[in-house]
Amino acid sequence: MNSKKQGNVRLSGVVKRHGETTVLHGVDLEIRAGEFFVLLGPSGSGKTTTLRILAGLEQVSEGQVLMDDVDVTGAEPGERDVAMVFQSYALYPHMTVAENIGFPLKMVGTPREQIDKAVQDAAARVSIGHLLARRPGQLSGGQQQRVALARAIVRQPKLFLLDEPLSNLDAKLRLETRLELKQLQRSLGVTTVYVTHDQEEAMTLADRVAVFMDGRIVQIATPRDIYSRPAQVSVAGFIGTPPMNLVPASWQGDTVVLDGVAHPVGATTAQARDVVLGVRPGELRAGQSGTPARVEYVEELGDHCIVDLKAGGQRMKLKADGAARLGEGATTSLSFSPNAAHIFDRASGERLN
Amino acid sequence: MNRRLPRAVALYAVAGLLVSVWAFPVLWALLTSFKTERDVLAYPPLLVFTPTLANYRDVLWGPASILPNLWSSMVVSVGATVLTMLFAVPAAYALARLRYPGKRASGFYVLATQMLPPVGLIIPYYLVLQRVGGLDTYSGLVAIYLTFSLPFAIWLMVSYFEDLPYEMEEAALLDRAGRLRALWYVILPQVRGGIAVTTVFVFLNAWNEFMFAVVLGGNKVRPVTVAMFNFISVEQTQWARLAAGAMVAMAPVIIVGLLAQRHIVKGLTVGAVKGGGRR
Repeated sequence: MNSKKQGNVRLSGVVKRHGETTVLHGVDLEIRAGEFFVLLGPSGSGKTTTLRILAGLEQVSEGQVLMDDVDVTGAEPGERDVAMVFQSYALYPHMTVAENIGFPLKMVGTPREQIDKAVQDAAARVSIGHLLARRPGQLSGGQQQRVALARAIVRQPKLFLLDEPLSNLDAKLRLETRLELKQLQRSLGVTTVYVTHDQEEAMTLADRVAVFMDGRIVQIATPRDIYSRPAQVSVAGFIGTPPMNLVPASWQGDTVVLDGVAHPVGATTAQARDVVLGVRPGELRAGQSGTPARVEYVEELGDHCIVDLKAGGQRMKLKADGAARLGEGATTSLSFSPNAAHIFDRASGERLN
Repeated sequence: MNRRLPRAVALYAVAGLLVSVWAFPVLWALLTSFKTERDVLAYPPLLVFTPTLANYRDVLWGPASILPNLWSSMVVSVGATVLTMLFAVPAAYALARLRYPGKRASGFYVLATQMLPPVGLIIPYYLVLQRVGGLDTYSGLVAIYLTFSLPFAIWLMVSYFEDLPYEMEEAALLDRAGRLRALWYVILPQVRGGIAVTTVFVFLNAWNEFMFAVVLGGNKVRPVTVAMFNFISVEQTQWARLAAGAMVAMAPVIIVGLLAQRHIVKGLTVGAVKGGGRR
């Protein structure tokens, strides 16, 4: 079922306004053919609007949408050769599963026998071959989700759009389906754009991620890069569980001064400046030297623990393997290795190191 | 033993009382239709009498047969219903879904036409129909019925369309159906209940209409509601024949009602409780 089509996508300068409010402030994006591309961001950040613009369900106020270098900015949804899985699945309740899956083929006049065969193939790929005679109302949430997937893959489109497809599944099923989705996309090789607010989903599924904040893309990179080198303080705070510790500090030479204690960082500044220092909870060390801190709470999570600390009026989290060696109320000193420091401009939030 | 029994009895008693308020005139008319004119006027009213089918014979096959009038009613009602639904379904869909300039104004206009008292319209309608030669014609009466059945039907259908989730249509659009086929294959099958309910209401309104029919009809177009009026004259009121005529005129209504009962009950509750799906 490998598609011969290309499926690269480009958005340039896309602006979307709803009356007075601007939802997207000039989005530029290039998605390569065959890529699993995730649009990640908190709700209201513009990621779903971007997906709907790709689908043709929303018109842009400004800018261009190109698919395989063809301008489709004004094209109807049906003219774009894209398939979408909605958050609510949007199955047709009056049709059987087989009719649901076959509907996109029926609409372009595919002969009956070909539809039947394609429906069976698509259903088998998502393991719902035994449910073809049922109606959506007789299926579980997970099964409905698979029907929606089958309806999307049956027509071998140029582009898959998935709008938080796992959010209505329970936690266990979500993990299983996530893996299957990745395998399915690999085997089909179809360019996939996936919207989620769940950073863990984004990290595990994506070839590349675009992080949305307030109607702008703040970073486009691989999951690894987004985690290890967040471009913005907002991205740093959004990615990772628990999120990165972000505390005001001052950067002087090759050290960052936190609460009066200088910590060496792997970067040098010519003149002293106010910054936001970011250190992931897992990179923070409690020991003999460093910024003094007091343990406030300890959360035991089995294989690891999260220690909440207070250092010079700032709350910090420390993640350590195994059981906590610090009790609540204990005092310690915090340090981190020079390359674990993320330094951001206090005013603009831009990464500086 | 069962504390709920007295409650149930009381409930049935109240329900029975309410039903009898509706049922009594119908039952009384049914009895009357089997009486002779003499028995009808007997006082105290006779509950035991020798039933006769003479009234039915008269109203169906006698000189004052209402069969042509039943046909008249059928033509007008079916014509008005078919045309109403043909226009109302797409119009309601447009009002519920599409964004176009003047949408609010047109929606309000539809509702506003429902607020006009029909009696105020009779004379203008008469003058207009007279001018265009539409008095005592099927097309004339159907056109007048459209003026009130169409807004009613649109208004009723809009809520059914609004209850459908947008995603369903968007999915159909992405599945390359286009607007019209999305409407035909995906939307309409899901508002079947609403269409059935609206069709029944429009048909019943047209079938039972009297005032416009009596003024704007005539000898050629004389629906059964008007024809029954003929049993009431200055000299006498032929109660038994009137009752028999009413029973015959009611038959199509009851049949339609029974056929559509399932949809009506479901439709009314669907209309009452707005589901999710809206954004």
